[in-house]
This record gives sequence, C-alpha cells and structure tokens, in this order.
Amino acid sequence: MNTSISTANPWAKWQESLVTESFAYARRLAQLPSLLQRAQLVKKGVTPSTLVYEEDRLKLLHYPGKEPPRYATPLVIVFALVNRPYILDLKVGRSVVSHFVERGFDTYLIDWGSPTYADRHLTIDDHVNGYISNVVDFVRERAGAAQVSLLGYCMGGTMSSIFTALHQERVKNLILLATGIDFSTREGLLNLWARPEYFDVDKFVEAFGNCPAEFLQMSFLMLKPVQNLLEKPLNFFEKADDPDAVNDFLTLETWLNDNIPVAGEVYREFVKYLYQQNLLVQNKMPVGKHTVDLRKITCPVLNIMAKGDDLVPCAQSMPFNDLVSSTDRKSIAIPAGHIGLAIGGKAQRDVWPHTCDWLAARS
Amino acid sequence: MNEEHDSTNHPTEQWMAFQRVWGETFNKMMQLGFTFSPDCAPPDFMRQMRSGIFQALGHSWEQFLRSPEFMEGMKQSMDSAIAFRKMTNDLFSKVRHETHAVARDDIDAVMLTVRHMETRVLDRLDELAARLDDVAGHLNGNGSHPDPAAQDEPTPKTQPPKNRGKNPTSRS
Repeated sequence: MNTSISTANPWAKWQESLVTESFAYARRLAQLPSLLQRAQLVKKGVTPSTLVYEEDRLKLLHYPGKEPPRYATPLVIVFALVNRPYILDLKVGRSVVSHFVERGFDTYLIDWGSPTYADRHLTIDDHVNGYISNVVDFVRERAGAAQVSLLGYCMGGTMSSIFTALHQERVKNLILLATGIDFSTREGLLNLWARPEYFDVDKFVEAFGNCPAEFLQMSFLMLKPVQNLLEKPLNFFEKADDPDAVNDFLTLETWLNDNIPVAGEVYREFVKYLYQQNLLVQNKMPVGKHTVDLRKITCPVLNIMAKGDDLVPCAQSMPFNDLVSSTDRKSIAIPAGHIGLAIGGKAQRDVWPHTCDWLAARS
Repeated sequence: MNEEHDSTNHPTEQWMAFQRVWGETFNKMMQLGFTFSPDCAPPDFMRQMRSGIFQALGHSWEQFLRSPEFMEGMKQSMDSAIAFRKMTNDLFSKVRHETHAVARDDIDAVMLTVRHMETRVLDRLDELAARLDDVAGHLNGNGSHPDPAAQDEPTPKTQPPKNRGKNPTSRS
C-alpha cells in the first residue's frame, strides 16, 4: 500500500515525515522543563579523590586508585586558570584522570579555585614560583620522589612550561595539552582581538580588577557564534528525547558555563607578554626576578594538539618542541577541538592510552 | 602593518568587502534550495540544508569577526565599558569616603603595601639563604666565592622554604 501511495504521490515521504517529526518535536518539548532539574544533578568529577594540600584558594586533589602506584614518579596535572578542572574527570568513559589512575600513576590535580578581588595582584610568578613550586615540593616529599611529571592543559600548559624552564631539576617529564607557546600566529581570533591597538589590557585590569568570568565566557562564545548560539542548541533539541545525549550535553554545558574570573595581574601578564609581545618564544619572558629560557628544558616532552582547536590553534603549540633542548620529544595532533582533545571519543580511545604508554616508559 | 588593514583601508572598499561576504553567504544558502527533490529523505534533507546554511553563516561570521570594522567596533565598546566602570568605581569611592567608610581603593593600597613588604622579606630571606649556603660551603672546605655575573640573573630556588599551604590529611 505504501508503495502505491509513494508512486502516486511523490510527497508521501514528506507527509509521513511531517507527522513523525511533529510527534518527535512534542516528545522533545515535553522533556525540556525537567532539564534544569537534571542539570543540577550533574556530578563534578567522578574518580574518587582526597584533598591533600591547600594553599589560599588552591586545592590539590590526590587520586589514590584501587592499588598502590606502579610507577615511582608522581604525575601532577596543572589546569588552566579560566575554568574548573573537572573537565579532565568529567564522567565515566570521558575522564583523562581515570586513564592515569587505572594505569597505576600516582596522580594529583591542581584546582586553582576562584580568585576573589583580594587576589587581583597575584602574578604568574606567584602561580609558578609560588603555588606550583610548593605543590611540586609537597608531592615530591609525599611520594618520596626526587622529581615529578607535569601535565599542563591550555594556560596550565604554558605555566608548566615556564615552571619546567625555571626548575628543570624537579621535572622528569612534561606533557602539554593544547598549550599556547607561540602567539605570533594569526589563526586564532583571540590573537587578533588581543592586539595592542584594539585592546588596552592595562586600562581593562585597572578598571575591572580581575578579568570577569562573563567577559571570558563571551569571548569564547564569540569564537564560533553560529555554532555555539544556533547550531548547538538546535542539535541538542533534536536529541532531547535521548537520555544519554541529554546527559552528555548537560555535563559538558555545566562545565562550559562554570567559568571563573582570572586574577587581574596574571591576565595582564598573559595578554601583554604572550598575546601582545610574544616573549616566551623569544626566551625573554619575565617571571618575577627571572627570565624564562625554554632552552633550559631538557626532559622528555610530549606535546598534544587539536587540529580543530579555535582557542589554541595548532600553530600556537607546534613550535614548542623546536624551542627546547630535550632530545626525547614528540608531538601528536588529532582531529578534535580544544575540549574534544580531553574528552572526545578519539582522544579517549587513542590519545590517552598512548600518553599513558609514553609516560609509563619514562616514569 | 597587516594585510586586513592594507587591503581594506578605504571605507568604500570596507563596505564592498562586507557586502561581498554576506552576498556569498546568501548565494550559498540559495544554492542549497535548488538541490531539493521530493525523493530526498525529508529529515536528512532538512538537516543537510540546515548544516549548509550554518556552515555558510559560520564562514561569513568568521570573516566578519576578523574584519577591521568589527575590531574597531569592539575597541569602541571596550573603551565605553572601561570608562563606565571607572566612572562607577570613582563614584562609589567618593560616596564611601564622604561617609567616612573604607573604599576599594583604600583596600588596594593596603594590599599593595603588604605585597611590597612580603617581597622585601622574601628577597632578604633569599639573600640570607644564599649566604648560609656560602658559609656552609666554606665550613665544609669547598666554599666558592659567588660569581658576580650570576647575581644579575638570580637562579630559581631549588629548595623553597617549607610549604606555605596546609595539609588536611595530616591535620585530621
């Protein structure tokens, strides 16, 4: 009967689809009111952890694992200052942390906390030679190890590189994830928007104190406005009756909207020294009383990048391996975005098991 | 200084470039409509069309967000936001001072003083630690005079003082 209708009426498929889609739309609409409630149930971090160290707003989480560590060198994960770190432990099957813990690494994660107005004068020096340095010493003492491995994500990667350049003797391995190093590239919109003729960072910090979370959020949204403001909500609506898809969406959106401000001085230094003057690749970046020389990095380096990263384009991370003195250095670039690099299917399937192998051979 | 500026300095050229971007977008969107036939699976066709439209729009927006017009507009709105913020900051400071209350500027001044004092104390501790190392070296018989050149570029501390933070597990 269907065949006869379809031959007689070329629009039969469309009529049938109109009915089916109308019911589907009604079903999806019915799901929407419960979303807010379900969003509040989203868990932030899934791997069991204990708080082992606190300093000001910083918290150091330790992931004990089910068995004692198999490797002598502990791993410290340094997250960025602009978001919460639980993206690295988002949910079961999408957790970077769990890869390392399950492989037997003694894993620690730095949660920077949210800076208040009182923290506006904190500099990169305070973060690198203060907080990270203290955390690394605490972990070395706790684990009885002479050195640690560092994994830095985004801004945390830049700070890890700076720390390693200044304190190479305390770092055994360095893993960078979507890390901005060479800011001369024009690929990224942030590099264009931060140019000194368009953005006076001194006046901005003077007026606002810390860089507001809303400003950062808006800047990130504007990198891909059509995708973020139109395509994403529509794609989500089409899957609103699929509980797994809704859960994935809510988990990620909860993190994306969980922005925190950046301490004013850190923001000023990042924009001025990196985005505007690109001093790190020239080995001229001042950090407190020191000048960062990337050539002092001699440990094994693994540089992981995302080809579709609109926040930190590959061209911004790629030069790192040529700027250091390490002989054991490797780059990996996968087709993913800035966040997909951590939680995407390909990253979870290929990149993180491979990274664990790389680290295991050097720990 | 940069290609975007050099190629689109004249306002007419800028307007033409802007028009061209959006003209191309609508052209691409129209072309999608002509690929339609009743035999296409309806939801797939709609998705394909929507994806094409978003792709074209995304591309146009990307170009627009890189254009001097947008950058200039962004600069102006940032300047306005900063000026407004400074104005409100000044106003609130004045109100607080008039009522003999403490303003944010005062707290800032105190914080900066504390930071300067902290820096001076830490610098002094660094010097003392270096001198102690030197003395210890002399006592062990392998002391060396500090290299004046090395003092220009202070080396980072390899053994910083005891952790400043708290260890919740050891407290409990």
